[in-house]
Order: sequence, then C-alpha cells, then structure tokens
Amino acid sequence: MNAMRRYVALVDGFNYRLGRIMMYGIFALMGVLAWSTLSKAVASPSLWTLEMAQFIMVGYYILGGPYSIQMGSNVRMDLFYGDFSPRRKAWFDAFTVFFLLVYLGILLWGGIESTQYAFQYGGERSSSVWRPYMWPIKVIMCIGIVLMLLQALSELFKDIIFLRTGERPLGRADREVSDAV
Amino acid sequence: MPYELIAILMFSSMMVMLFTGQRVFGAIGFVAVIAAVLLWGDRGGYDIGFSAAIKLMRWYPLLTLPMFIFMGYVMSESRIADDLYKMFHVWMGGVHGGLAIGTIFLMVLISAMNGLSVAGMAIGATIALPELLRRGYDKIMVTGVIQAGSSLGILVPPSVVLVLYAMIARQPVGQLWLAGVVPGLMMAALFILYIAVRCRLNPALGPVLPKAERDAVPMAEKLRLLRAGVLPLAIFFIMMVPFVKGWTSLVESSSIGALSAFLAAVLKGRMTWTVFETCLRQTLGVTCMFMWIILAALAFGAVFDGLGAVKAIENLFTEQLGLSPWVILILMQLSFLLMGTFLDDTAMLVIVAPLYVPLVGELGFNLIWYGVLYTITCQIAYMTPPFGYNLFLMRAMAPPEIGLKDIYRSIIPFVGVMAVALAIVMIFPQIALWLPELVYNR
Repeated sequence: MNAMRRYVALVDGFNYRLGRIMMYGIFALMGVLAWSTLSKAVASPSLWTLEMAQFIMVGYYILGGPYSIQMGSNVRMDLFYGDFSPRRKAWFDAFTVFFLLVYLGILLWGGIESTQYAFQYGGERSSSVWRPYMWPIKVIMCIGIVLMLLQALSELFKDIIFLRTGERPLGRADREVSDAV
Repeated sequence: MPYELIAILMFSSMMVMLFTGQRVFGAIGFVAVIAAVLLWGDRGGYDIGFSAAIKLMRWYPLLTLPMFIFMGYVMSESRIADDLYKMFHVWMGGVHGGLAIGTIFLMVLISAMNGLSVAGMAIGATIALPELLRRGYDKIMVTGVIQAGSSLGILVPPSVVLVLYAMIARQPVGQLWLAGVVPGLMMAALFILYIAVRCRLNPALGPVLPKAERDAVPMAEKLRLLRAGVLPLAIFFIMMVPFVKGWTSLVESSSIGALSAFLAAVLKGRMTWTVFETCLRQTLGVTCMFMWIILAALAFGAVFDGLGAVKAIENLFTEQLGLSPWVILILMQLSFLLMGTFLDDTAMLVIVAPLYVPLVGELGFNLIWYGVLYTITCQIAYMTPPFGYNLFLMRAMAPPEIGLKDIYRSIIPFVGVMAVALAIVMIFPQIALWLPELVYNR
C-alpha cells in the first residue's frame, strides 16, 4: 500500500509538472503559425512552419495527456455512471482501466516498431520539402504513451487505495478540478 | 465470420463498454486495436493504433482545434463580452422580449468568434441569465434561449465541428464554413421570431424595461456602447477575410484569431493571472480530450475501412431493402438524433461520421450540404436529454433557482424550431450552398 502511494505521488507529481509546462505549448504553436503568416506577407513563405506546428501539436496533446487525465478532462458516458456512488465508481474504474492499459500498450507496441524503423537506413525523413528526420517526434510520442500508461496505472492504484482505506490520495490537479467540459 | 457481422460486433461491444462509464477514448481505442490484432495481427494489425497517430499529425486543419478552444476560453473567462451584453441590453430593452432577442444577437456574435458552443454557454449562463431573471423574464424561456443560442457556435463559422467533418468527408473547410453562414443566421432569425411571437401573445414572459430606466441611459452612452459590437466583428473579419481571400491558410487564420482575442483581452486589462492560467489549463484539457478521442476513433475507422463495412451497409439498404436515397437520408438523420440523445456528442461526432458520411457520398448527395445538416443535427443532439452536453453545462453554470427539470422543459420549443430549420435546409439545399458557390465560383 505504501509502495502504491509512493508510486502515485511520484508519477502524478512528474506528469503534473510536465503538463504544466506543456500548457504553454499553445503559445509556441501560435508563434510558429504567426511566423508562417508573417513570412508569407514579407518574404517567401517558409517551408518548415506547418510541419513544425504539427510536431508541437503532437507534443502538446501526447505529453499533456497524463495531466488531462489527472484533471478528469476525458469525457465519460455518465448515463448510469453519473449516479454511481464513489465506491461503485472506483470499482468500475478499477476494472475498466485495463481496457485503457491494453489500448495504450498496443499503441506503444506500434510506436516502438515505427520508431525503430525511423532509425534505420540512415534515418527516416518526412517527404516534405523541409525533410525533417522523423525519429525525434516518434521518440517523443513513445515517451508520451509510456507516461500515459504510467498515469493509467496510477489511476488504478488510486482506486485500489480508495477501496481499501476509504481515502483517495489527492494530487495537485485534483484541487484545481476542471469544471467546464 | 462475414465482415458485416464483425463490424456490428465491434460497434455493439463498443456501445456496451461505453455504458460502464469508462473514459470514452479508452473504450473506442481498445475495441479498435483488439479487432485489428485479431483480424490482421500477423500483417501489421498491431500498428493501426500508432499509424492513426501519424495520420492525425498530418491533418493540418486539426491545428485549429487548440486555437479555437483557446479563443473561446479567453472570451468567456476574461469577460470581454460584458460590454457586448450591455450594448444589447440598452438597445433592445424597449421591445417585448427584447432582452431575450438581444441575447440571441449576442450569441451570434460570440459564435462568430469561436468554434464551440461552450463559450457562448458560459457567457450566456453567467452574464445574461441572471440579468434576464432579475428583469422578470420567464425562467424556462430564457434558459432555452441561452442553450439554443449557444448551440449556434458550431454552425456559424469558425466551427470546430465543421473542421472535423471536413477531415472525415474530405471536403474543403472554407466552403463548409461559408455554407454554415446562411443556415446559422436563418436559425437565429427563427429563434427571434419565436421569441417575439410568444412575448407578444403573452407579455408576462418578457416584460419591457420601464421607460424611466431606458431614459436613464443617455444617448451618448448608448452610442458609446455600440463600439462594443466592433470588437467581435473586427476579430471575425481579421480572421476570415485573409482566409477566404486565400492569403492565409485556415490554420494561420485561426492563430491570428486566437492572438487577436488574446491581445484584445490584454489591452482591455482583463487578462489577469488567474484568467490566463485557467485559459491555458482548460485549453490543454479540452484539446487533449478531443485529440485522444479522435486518435482512438481514427483507428476504429481504419478497421471499419479495412472491413469494407460502409459498402456492405449501403448494399444492405439500397439493394436488399430497396430504399430510395432520400428515405435512407431521413432514416439516418433520425437515427442520428436518437443516438444523440444518449451518446456523448464528441464521441458521436467521431464515431458516427466515418460511418455516415461515406454512405451519404455513395448515395450521391452533396457533401457540403450534408455538412450543414450534420451540424444542425449535432446541435439538436447537444441539447436533447437525457444526455446532452449543454444540459450538464447549464446545470453547472446556471443560477440555483433553475433546476434540471426547468432545463429539460426549456429546450422543447427550441428543439422544435431547430427541427424546422433542419427540414428547411433539407428541402432547399440552396440555403446552404448559395454562399460558398457565390464566393468560390466567381
């Protein structure tokens, strides 16, 4: 039980901080797109901006994903779930989280294969004019999926701790619970 | 096992899993990857989840998603719309039900500045609703006004729903957005007509402001407040004109829009640290929610594509049941509405669209026109119980004297009006297609 608590504190703490940093990624995205507009107006359109923006977007939602789980942003169909007691919710979640774990696991499997490929033959490049290497973004995606897995596991542990002790370990994200959406 | 059967099995097991209340993206993703591994495990079936992520990365229009979400939060959190509300308040106060009509105008302007209905909902429920109640407006009517009005956010450009639709249907976003303009304004006009008629028949529903109070605001002040209307229009045109003219891409325009909304809030001194932090956090949360669902649904769609399920379903309807395309279209809209009442609308958007949209294309209908029908249906689905986003948002945001029962009752007439609008656009496709043809076919 204490090991679980330590795990939850560690993973939630790390993902929280990472999410808080990724939050500002929206400005990076805005900046790159603004530069893209500007370069079109002033000089010749730059070749790298749109693809760079895509990479930022991927980093934004994949690395920010665990924090969004902490905030409870992911929608659920709460037709019945909404009326469950906290204990019953925890019971259901403790089982259904395995579907999520399997999904993320297979996602990671495909990701690792694809990343390995990206390193072969002198490095896979994008087929655009800019021709960036693909491995950095794929590595970031894999790291993000691993963090999602760790976070999903942490959610499971939180449910187990709650069912055993009746107390839910609260992370910092819980205290700033998102209300809208 | 025949492929149709696998498709039906996948769909039904996903529905069952959703009912357990687990995270939607987990359920969709699980069914998709498991089906893929079982079907084509030895030939790269395990890869479907991740290649969906790469495909998702390559979808340019998706970059607009965080931009529009950010814009919406900047607007609702920084309360730059307060002046806008005041403007309609002083100008419309003298008419029967005028404040309610003003609220619809307000919602149209807010819709022109952001792509989801959440911002309109937040502004309506927190600024307009308490004021309308204080003025003795009928609570059931005004609750409906705000819900119906805010749903325009997804039909009036910029619209996130139409961006998602555009990707699924492989249609140009610009044309779709323009197609939404006239039906959106028509729907707003129908709402206004409904309010005006009801308030004329029963003035107690929407009392006229007392003359003394109306005269208390000097003309100079009234004119000054008109300036509030300039801001949303400015943001809208800064964003839309370069895009429609072809100077900037859709994505670039959305960043200009987000930047100008942000700057407007900063210049007005409304961008405090708390507001700033909330906007960033919520934008991340909502964007992640959307992106992970789309990611999972893409994998799901890829499996469906691999099975040739759409062809099979089309064959079932036209050949075996012998239905005409119009009957199928109407049946689809009805089933869509039915699903909308109990499915979460984000999930519905990404699950149902890949099934329905290709089918509509196969049947020979115009996909730009269908985009508008699709969006209106989404709007209705948003509002209908027992499972509508708006209903929950409304309950969370509205003042306590408005109960869930009031919220449920309030939407009935407005859903009726929306159904009329849907029927009109169905019968007269030109309402949707006129503007895009005018702009693009010169």
